[in-house]
Amino acid sequence: MEHILLTILIWFGLYMIVCLSLNIEYGYAGIPNFGRAFAVLVGAFAVGGVANRLLMLIFDISNGIIEGSASVKSAMNEIMARNPAVAILFLLGTLCIAAILGAVLGAIFILPSARLSEHYLAIALLAISEVSYMVCYYNPDIIGGYYGVSTPDPLLFFQGEQRLLAFSVLTLSIATLLYGIVSKMLNSPFGRLLKAMREDEAVVEACGKDVMFLRVKACAVGSSIAAISGALYAFYTTNVIASSFNRAEWTFYPFLIIILGGLGSTNGVVAGVFLFVVVRVLLTTYKWELKSALHLPFEAVWLEYMIFGVLMLLVLIFKPEGLLREKPTMTKPIREVVKRTRKGASRQQPLTPQNTPESWHKAEKKEENSR
Amino acid sequence: MFVVEGALVYSNLLALLSIGLTITYITTGVPNFAQGSFALFGSYTALTLLYTLKIHPYASVPLAFAVGGLAGVAVYALALRPLLKREASIVTLMIATLAVDLILLGFFGAYSDFLEGLTGKSAKKFIFTPYDFNIFGFKAILLLSTFAIFLLLVSLSALLYGTKFGIALRASMENPELAEVMGVNVARTRTFSWFLSGALASTAGCFLPFRQEIVPLTGSLIIVSIFAASIVGGITSIYGSVLGSYIVGFSESLLTFIISLAFGQILVYSRVISLIMMLIALVLAPKGLAGVVKKKWSIYS
Repeated sequence: MEHILLTILIWFGLYMIVCLSLNIEYGYAGIPNFGRAFAVLVGAFAVGGVANRLLMLIFDISNGIIEGSASVKSAMNEIMARNPAVAILFLLGTLCIAAILGAVLGAIFILPSARLSEHYLAIALLAISEVSYMVCYYNPDIIGGYYGVSTPDPLLFFQGEQRLLAFSVLTLSIATLLYGIVSKMLNSPFGRLLKAMREDEAVVEACGKDVMFLRVKACAVGSSIAAISGALYAFYTTNVIASSFNRAEWTFYPFLIIILGGLGSTNGVVAGVFLFVVVRVLLTTYKWELKSALHLPFEAVWLEYMIFGVLMLLVLIFKPEGLLREKPTMTKPIREVVKRTRKGASRQQPLTPQNTPESWHKAEKKEENSR
Repeated sequence: MFVVEGALVYSNLLALLSIGLTITYITTGVPNFAQGSFALFGSYTALTLLYTLKIHPYASVPLAFAVGGLAGVAVYALALRPLLKREASIVTLMIATLAVDLILLGFFGAYSDFLEGLTGKSAKKFIFTPYDFNIFGFKAILLLSTFAIFLLLVSLSALLYGTKFGIALRASMENPELAEVMGVNVARTRTFSWFLSGALASTAGCFLPFRQEIVPLTGSLIIVSIFAASIVGGITSIYGSVLGSYIVGFSESLLTFIISLAFGQILVYSRVISLIMMLIALVLAPKGLAGVVKKKWSIYS
């Protein structure tokens, strides 16, 4: 039971981070990023590909990346077991590398959007993500391909259940921190600018803002955040294998979550992540029980795909606005305006079917016609 | 020679798949990410018939055609028509097709487990090459897939340019609203286009195991090449997508082979080539080859 709870917490944190990033890009900026898995893979690459190679240089290990990572892991684990400060430094340093690499590659990743309209962009981003996934999976020289590479474990002081607890505390605190930063950022003028871009790019351009630069910024921030979750996931499993960064888990599920929660609503993301993660962890934990209880002639993982696919269709068809509808950003001036108009409205006659904006409009037209 | 043969077969199958993608795109405006998974209806129909009734995969093409077509109609009617009715945005429709793709992945995974349990033979990974034979010194798959493309193009142009339904179909491709005003039953032409798309993909899927190994994930793996073929051909032209398929198919097979001769093992990068071609086509000529050709010949049409 405790184990399930901790797994739920860890996945909650991981998906929270990814979905926050996708909510910036798709929910706010309206960029249809069908290649979210790419940024997550970049985060894992920062751990398995970059940090491991740096450590190989430091320890002067000159093997291939797969054998090299194994020796790096044992050497680094030994040092970290003696010195907790190194472990913390290593963890934070790697997360920083992931964030920076994510931002840079995310900014490059979105460049095709300069020439492409919405759906062509979505196709291109999906294709880029799929192809980099395949290259990472089939080429063992990048992050070990289908063999994968192992990574040093900065949480090696904790054993078994304790490690899960420590890791869930770590993920949740990073997720909370990012939640604070992201909601602050999205309530700022930058967030409103992104929303304006989603609604009408021409208007934003007419106001003298560079749409392309905005997109690059949004995507750099988003990818950087998503890369952090990829790096955390790599530390969670203490190895990096490209096949765990597939399209279903890191592009489709985040889309499902933010649409289920309500596009553009940060609290909706929390609700969506919670619902999704609980269902998913329960499905994966009780897969054998489920299989025998329902007499399924197949593995329960296929059932998971079908359930979440159908759920997505149901949400899109019957509840496209999601659980928590997006609310307007209440800044100080807007709040004052709302207050003033409410007061004004109450002083005037209340809005009745006879007295609505439409009826005013009609009256205006009548006046015009009579003139 | 072997490489050219393989490239030709691959391009033929790619053409079958990308024609379907293009048809549904022009009639309903949905770029269908589940097109690759539609192919698996054919592969698994053929496999089921082979395992249970010992029917040769080539003989199951008609049934695969029908099964794929019905699946296409089902996807359109259950998943996409409600969204189209609500005038959902194109990105929403694309997300819906991603959902369909995931459902189909789950379905084929489950079905292959079921089939394995039933027959005791491998269904999660299979290939038909041992069942292939030679006709006049050529592999049967080469002749049959070429014949399928030929038959398809002839019957498609007969349908589009020779029948009243074809006129209605073309009208609803050009301008659905106007066609509806003129009395064309657009709902019917759309349903038909999804039937055709699913059926063609499924036919390709019936042939595909003769060239490569099939796993439940195959649909997601080939989707990039299908989109590349369709986009290089200009996603709004059926004949363009045939041309695009041959260009993408040949460069994927031949270019990677030539480069691998020069630089050694990089055969894994065949998809990178189709991705690059797609990006170049998107950035330089967003209307693809069809757009380029149209511009040149626009005075005549």
